[in-house]
Amino acid sequence: MSTLHHKLVFTLALAIAPAAPSLRAASGDSKPAPDPAMAAAHAAAKGDGLLEALLSEIDRSKSQLKMDQVQPPYFIEYRVNDVEEYSADADFGALRQNQHSHFRILRVIVRIGDYRQDSFYARGQGESTILPLDNDSIALRHQIWLATDDAYKAAGQSLAEKQAELKRFTSDANPIDDFAKSSPLIAVEPTVSLKLDEAYWKKTLEDVTNLYRQYPDVQLVTASARFSAVNEYLVNTEGTVTRCGKTSYSVSLEGSAQAADGMRLSRSPDYVVARSEELPSHEALLTNAKQMLDTIVALRKAPIVEEEYRGPVLFSADAADDIVASLVGQNLVGRKPQLGRPNRTTGAFATSYKARVLPTFLSVIDDPTLKDFQGKSLLGSYMFDSEGVKAQSVDAIQNGILTNYLIGRQPLRDFPASNGHGRAAAGMAAGPNLGVLLLKSSEPQSPEDLKKKVIEMVKEQGLPYGYRVETLGSPGNTPRLLYRVYASDGHEELVRGAVFNELDTRALRTDVIAAGNDPLVSNRPGGIPTTVISPSLLFDELEVKRADTSKDKLPEYPAPPLKR
Amino acid sequence: MLISESSQNRRELHSHPARSLRLAAACFLAAQLVFLPVASAEGDKPAPASTSRSKVPTPVSTNDPVLKAMQNELSRATTELSKSDQPPYYLSYTVYDQDFVGLVGAYGSLLSDTATERRFADVTMRVGTPDLDNTHGQSRSSGVTSGTLPLGSDQDAIARVLWELTDREYKRAVPALMNVRTDSAVRAEEEDKSPDFSKERPATHMGEADAALFDRSAWEDEIKRLSGAFRKYPEVYFSSVVLQVTHSNSRMVSSEGTTLVSPTSSTRLVMEAQTRADDGMDLLRVETFQAPNAKALPAEAELTAKIEKMAADLGALRKAPVAEPYDGPALLSGRAAAVFFHEVLGHRLEGHRQRDEEEGQTFTKKVGQEVLPKFLSVVDDPTLHEMAGVKLAGAYQFDNEGTPAERVDVIKDGVLKNFLMSRMPIKNFSDSNGHGRNQPGLMPTGRQGNLIVTSTQTVPEAQMRQKLIDEVKKQGKPYGLYFDDIQGGFTITTRQLPQAFQVLPVMVYKVYADGRPDELVRGVDIVGTPLAALTRILTTGDQQHVFNGVCGAESGQVPVAAVAPAMLFSEMEVQKRAHQHERPPLLPPPGFEAMASPAKTTQAKAEVKP
Repeated sequence: MSTLHHKLVFTLALAIAPAAPSLRAASGDSKPAPDPAMAAAHAAAKGDGLLEALLSEIDRSKSQLKMDQVQPPYFIEYRVNDVEEYSADADFGALRQNQHSHFRILRVIVRIGDYRQDSFYARGQGESTILPLDNDSIALRHQIWLATDDAYKAAGQSLAEKQAELKRFTSDANPIDDFAKSSPLIAVEPTVSLKLDEAYWKKTLEDVTNLYRQYPDVQLVTASARFSAVNEYLVNTEGTVTRCGKTSYSVSLEGSAQAADGMRLSRSPDYVVARSEELPSHEALLTNAKQMLDTIVALRKAPIVEEEYRGPVLFSADAADDIVASLVGQNLVGRKPQLGRPNRTTGAFATSYKARVLPTFLSVIDDPTLKDFQGKSLLGSYMFDSEGVKAQSVDAIQNGILTNYLIGRQPLRDFPASNGHGRAAAGMAAGPNLGVLLLKSSEPQSPEDLKKKVIEMVKEQGLPYGYRVETLGSPGNTPRLLYRVYASDGHEELVRGAVFNELDTRALRTDVIAAGNDPLVSNRPGGIPTTVISPSLLFDELEVKRADTSKDKLPEYPAPPLKR
Repeated sequence: MLISESSQNRRELHSHPARSLRLAAACFLAAQLVFLPVASAEGDKPAPASTSRSKVPTPVSTNDPVLKAMQNELSRATTELSKSDQPPYYLSYTVYDQDFVGLVGAYGSLLSDTATERRFADVTMRVGTPDLDNTHGQSRSSGVTSGTLPLGSDQDAIARVLWELTDREYKRAVPALMNVRTDSAVRAEEEDKSPDFSKERPATHMGEADAALFDRSAWEDEIKRLSGAFRKYPEVYFSSVVLQVTHSNSRMVSSEGTTLVSPTSSTRLVMEAQTRADDGMDLLRVETFQAPNAKALPAEAELTAKIEKMAADLGALRKAPVAEPYDGPALLSGRAAAVFFHEVLGHRLEGHRQRDEEEGQTFTKKVGQEVLPKFLSVVDDPTLHEMAGVKLAGAYQFDNEGTPAERVDVIKDGVLKNFLMSRMPIKNFSDSNGHGRNQPGLMPTGRQGNLIVTSTQTVPEAQMRQKLIDEVKKQGKPYGLYFDDIQGGFTITTRQLPQAFQVLPVMVYKVYADGRPDELVRGVDIVGTPLAALTRILTTGDQQHVFNGVCGAESGQVPVAAVAPAMLFSEMEVQKRAHQHERPPLLPPPGFEAMASPAKTTQAKAEVKP
């Protein structure tokens, strides 16, 4: 476990309260005394109406919540996400949607039982409710009170259900705890808000999509902006109080067309940053949109991949980011399997602990404490996670060997404590997730050298060409821009209608032979924003074959003539 | 087939029934109502345009760029698709503009404060012939494709999206017609061989918008204050005050030559309060106010008084005994009787149910026969805007198929005369009477607008309670039931399930024959089967009462009103209400920490006021 090697520049108050666990014995029905651990929490929350309301209800619930035949809670957590959002969409040069929203969602988790075995199961995984937007104490506490009451009752039911369910299985000799202890953390950072020039963005989206006039063959041109500022507030009965904010600015473009044979072709590049000033300018977006539309026009005329190919394929960093996210990232996340299942986690790396999962020249870390990379802001960065645990850099894969899973406070076999990766979307339960995932090679090579290598290999194998993939589409890692790289003179030819066969964790482990020195930041917005950074990757053998997609009919009659 | 003042979807939208004390529901409600078509509040008469069906009609001249784009694109689509193998015989575009403000207050704060602007289009297409087309039977949904349209007035952008939606709709309609044709060749002949689409005269109408301004910040304050009034009542666990202000404009053009522009505005204020009895039964009180604009809503003092009454009612209900199943004389308040008629009668008079072979068809073959006591008549009149001083939610000038709304005498002196017709004909009723209604995105069916029950056998309302006691004594029962306020109801009209209805009363009193004071009870629902229930009405009050609500059925949610006098039934059956058994909150509410248990409030006076 590495320590927090980052200065909290913006931290107003950072005090690690004495690590005395504030839990009560699960069966204890003695009257609870005022808790010294909570005193520090109250001091830290002073002046923040929302934190104060959360703490006054958590105090009350901790000391008084008790129902006949049901144990009192041993742990209560309140997490509030204050979400301010702006979204706008335009197509064909006109705004179609423009909306501001602001809401607060509370997630309440009440655990009964003890750290070894508790009620976190089925409905016992917490309740969510909407909170008032102002800091009126009574109105806030009313909502918190109701949700806590529901959560406690659900916990009572769920613990009984869980114990009944466990009776179906032989009990484990070394059972894994349900919940990891964690020292209280007090860190109240400044809140964030949206920085937004609405008129500018409306105009930009309209101007960008107005390009459809120059591209009669393109059927759809859409541009969207999704800007958000999320402030997360967390308190728990262990004495943790955290507050932190995160902004996310995302602009995405989309274009689609049908080829003359009906095949649907599309592109959807996006620009996702944590700081608004890093967004592309109006001019840059217009240029990028033109490039996107040009490639769609080129794709319409591109030859279809008819014959199966087995040979070298070079993934550019953009395409590599997607496969690292889905094939490595998702499998490093240490999700506990269902009750009674013996595996360590779910996913493809469930039984791979200390086994080789990548070529030995590749290593992967997840370091949420990293704020910038090559001057770019990282959306997956955070100082403490959604369970109030300090972010940590985790060596997940060292020289190809899986050494760590990314986990939150739900322990796994051999992983008893959180490594600061318990993350949550607004109103949802926290679970293990990526922060900033970084794949590195011990023998980085330039993209030019990698391309040279492709040409050498195809020549050796007597193939006319190899493949280079520029960008992938979701879902399913299908290539959007795929080029043939000719052995003769190295020229590239755009093709369409291809898919990769068996692009999976096995291919990644055994077929990747080189990686680039060109790491690219891919910020991934959504409920839980993450970042993936990977360089180009070269596969010595991968199958490229024709996609089995239907060819839809073309429009019955031509598009309306333009009046302007 | 469900009517409610708030929204019954509160529960349907909730994955967890036990979370009934959840406030998020109010926001779902607010969001949901964005999509509601809003009844027209104007009064001028339509001027039908004369056109022939054979050619593309000349569009009505307009300066509205949206309407222009619709007209141009419609005419282009009609011309272009006429060259195809299977040209549509009918095509219409309806574009809905909706400008919506939703405020949700709870305990003195705003939980949600949103403003939304949207525009969407329904492209309706029929291929085949009016006798048999793609919308026949189970394929009905193939008649419409919907999507959002660009805001603003860029005709190029609007035309482009309409073109795309039309193309998509054509590609659904043609295969659907092939299925319909195969089906009708393979299946046994249908009982009702009516055509699929009626012939109607196209209408032209350009409505004017009501330009009432909405003072959002003043209302934010008022909603906070109103919702804060519930703070005084610790036993009200859940409460919300929701204001929804909608300005909308619907434009419709069709290949038959219809051009309609109907700007409308509506404001709804819904106050909801809920408590939970010690046995886990959730008890709900809802008050709804409807007006063309926010200025026409009741004054704040009047609303605050309502809140106090709601809280007092809930306090009394918490302590009221659970009523036992009962079958005997019952008095329904005007609003309760109105909901009863909406469910029991209204839904069964909707035209399309008379030809659908899955339907129970309770009244299909009863035209000309007595189905109600002679002293009762029923009309559905969407052209009426106000009654008994209350704005009617089910008023509109043209239905969603562009047919002018008509007053329809469905039952005259107890005898069934007519049905509520859309452009889907049924045996012996070949034309629409302007009741084809739908929520945007769905195909219209015959629906209710303002269902109005009138009576010629009345007694002054004040004497209705005595009439109930007389009937109780006559039948030798210890007590009768008085149903004061209701929250809504639902009914089942299909054949697979029993023909039944349920009305969900909120305030129910036992009225004793021996002169004891009336006793408030809780936890009962009125149940029964339609034909039996309707014949047991003995007499009615002399005042009309209005229930404004939102009705959900196959064609979506539409605003409706039901109007009726109080009614005395010789026999009415009630059953125990199913409910959750979760205990009330364990701790006292914030602000009442010293309280040991849920608060005591003064018993509401149990007194009959029909």
